[in-house]
Amino acid sequence: MRRVLARTNPLALMWIGVAALLGSFAVRDLPSAVAAATGWALAGLLVLPSWRYPVACLALCGVSAGLVAYSAWRLGNPDHAPVAALRILVLAWPGAVVVAFVDLSDLGDELAQRLHLPDRPVAAFVASLQRVSGFGVTLQQVLRARRVRGAGPHGPASAVRHAGSVTFAMLAAALRDAGRTSIAMDARGFATATRRTWAQGVPWTVRDTAVVVVATLLALVPVVARVLT
Amino acid sequence: MRVDPGERVMLLGPSGAGKSTLLHALVGALGTTLSGDLTGTVEVGGVLGFVPQAPGDAVVAERIGRDVAFGPENRALARPEIWARVDRALADVGLTYGREHPTSALSGGELQRLALAGALAVEPDVLLLDEPTSMLDPDHAASVREAVRRTVAARGATLLVVEHRMGPWLDLVDRVLVLGRDGALLADVSPDVLVSDHGEAMGRLGLWMPGLPAPTPLEVDPRLVAPASRATSVVAQDLVVDLTSRSMRGVARTRALDGVHARLDPGRLAAVTGPSGAGKSTLLAALGGLLVPTSGTVSPSRHRLRSRELAAQVGWASQVPEHGFVAATVREEVALTAGRTGRTVDVDALLDVVSLGALASTHPFRLSGGEQRRVSMLTAVAHRPEVVLLDEPTVGQDRDTWAAVVGLALAAAGEGAVVAAATHDADVVDLAAERVEVAP
Ligand SMILES: Nc1ncnc2c1ncn2[C@@H]1O[C@H](COP(=O)(O)OP(=O)(O)OP(=O)(O)O)[C@@H](O)[C@H]1O
Ligand SMILES: [Mg+2]
Repeated sequence: MRRVLARTNPLALMWIGVAALLGSFAVRDLPSAVAAATGWALAGLLVLPSWRYPVACLALCGVSAGLVAYSAWRLGNPDHAPVAALRILVLAWPGAVVVAFVDLSDLGDELAQRLHLPDRPVAAFVASLQRVSGFGVTLQQVLRARRVRGAGPHGPASAVRHAGSVTFAMLAAALRDAGRTSIAMDARGFATATRRTWAQGVPWTVRDTAVVVVATLLALVPVVARVLT
Repeated sequence: MRVDPGERVMLLGPSGAGKSTLLHALVGALGTTLSGDLTGTVEVGGVLGFVPQAPGDAVVAERIGRDVAFGPENRALARPEIWARVDRALADVGLTYGREHPTSALSGGELQRLALAGALAVEPDVLLLDEPTSMLDPDHAASVREAVRRTVAARGATLLVVEHRMGPWLDLVDRVLVLGRDGALLADVSPDVLVSDHGEAMGRLGLWMPGLPAPTPLEVDPRLVAPASRATSVVAQDLVVDLTSRSMRGVARTRALDGVHARLDPGRLAAVTGPSGAGKSTLLAALGGLLVPTSGTVSPSRHRLRSRELAAQVGWASQVPEHGFVAATVREEVALTAGRTGRTVDVDALLDVVSLGALASTHPFRLSGGEQRRVSMLTAVAHRPEVVLLDEPTVGQDRDTWAAVVGLALAAAGEGAVVAAATHDADVVDLAAERVEVAP
């Protein structure tokens, strides 16, 4: 079960995010909000292989959920605050989590071969996003180098400054990388390619259909909850 | 300058002469992706294959199979042909991990070979190589050259290769172009004529002419690098390090070091050797307390030290110099760690040692590959730590800058520091008092 998402077709994965988004519009009252959130949480418990990333996503979505709840409360609508917060979680969390399971090359294959988007932009899109996925390793190296150079954090105030400067360095690296990626692509025949093929096909399995069906059902949970109550 | 189809050309010149810039002009990156003043024109016909100088710059996909497939895809080949080429190219460069291995889990030399596989799989009309074997051991370098020779011969392709250690490449090429320090074309001759008639002049220019003895390391003022504190031996016992590259889709775990014993003593230069991917960089990082061992011990153990405490004891030059750069000018870069650790530093004297005085106010990212590596070297020694760890310090250096880099390392060792260099450079290994061999 826990390996399902890692093997799911990227379009099916994207559908999970879209379904969650559409389903969140049906969240209007407390029962539907609780039902929807519970549904997604249970699904997550069943299929997610590790916890750190989903919880980080939850924390990030939680910040915006908290802000929305706070403003609902400030606007004199305290009953609505929990509903608003849960709706944001239902809207954003599933999509944020499943994005991490998307294999970029597979996504490119789908966009170009199943959805028939133009080849060249898709190939360029995939190659540049790939840099982002390599960021983890680069970041580790950058932090390591800064630490041994005495440029690491040494106290709470400097930790904030350090985070800022590392973020800036990574942004600068991303800009540089964009240039390098485009050179690397052009230097492998991309510049002169008018037509290109794709090394892999776009398989669709029963598992992918099942994922789409389950995601759709989860999206319908708040609708059902409202009908029942 | 004109290179005809099917010509095989070697491009030589001292560090910073403009070799990579010329290759970038040929791939059409100048004036578009790279900015600057550009006059004149370049025309290149046919399909290109290019291996950039910095390993990793050529990566375009998350997994090595799809990365190598990128070129064949652009040539609109059918699937069976694409994968046949991918498998052949990966085998040619000796990458045996399989198509699904993540590109983020490769060592420097492995990335270099991946870039070459990507260029070979294109079966280009024009193959441009920027120091393609600079981070490879002799065996891998030889098989890479053989793969290049075969690809070029099979298609009658044009070859342009930049490499400092030209010796083994000379019988692959039929023409040699030499750029001077100012970037002007100094010579355009056949390899035979280069060796027989220009040997000495080119040696004076700093080129690694075959047959010349290794340069004498530069005498460096010992006060520039004398450790500020007394060094003690660094000992690794039964060291095991697992490197992981993690994503939600799974974890790629590589046992980079498996039960390694190593001992570095003060006052000696140790060469850390072993084939590409053996774990040299990992060993250096573990010895310096830059990473936490999976099991086994390193003593003194430094991986818990705070940043400034660690910096006061250890200097490290990364295999990828850019990862370590923090400041906006070369001068600030060299002074930085000394400032953080409260030590004095004579930046100008150090810059003069490695011939970078003229570039003191330049941004470190605007330097050539060889120049960046020298700045990185200075950042490891300038604050006079007792342990100096250098990852491939002589890559991209001409004879003169090599002598400076090695001179700095030897001077630090001479003053009692623990100095270790991970290297494939036989001349460095010859000079080292100690050799730590890492088995793959
Ligand atoms: N981030 C990573 N995740 C997983 N494996 C990695 C990672 N980085 C390197 N490796 C693997 O660990 C092993 C040791 O890598 P290391 O960089 O120490 O080798 P090296 O001897 O320095 O090689 P080179 O001479 O090519 O620089 C290699 O097999 C490499 O593929
Ligand atoms: Mg290495």
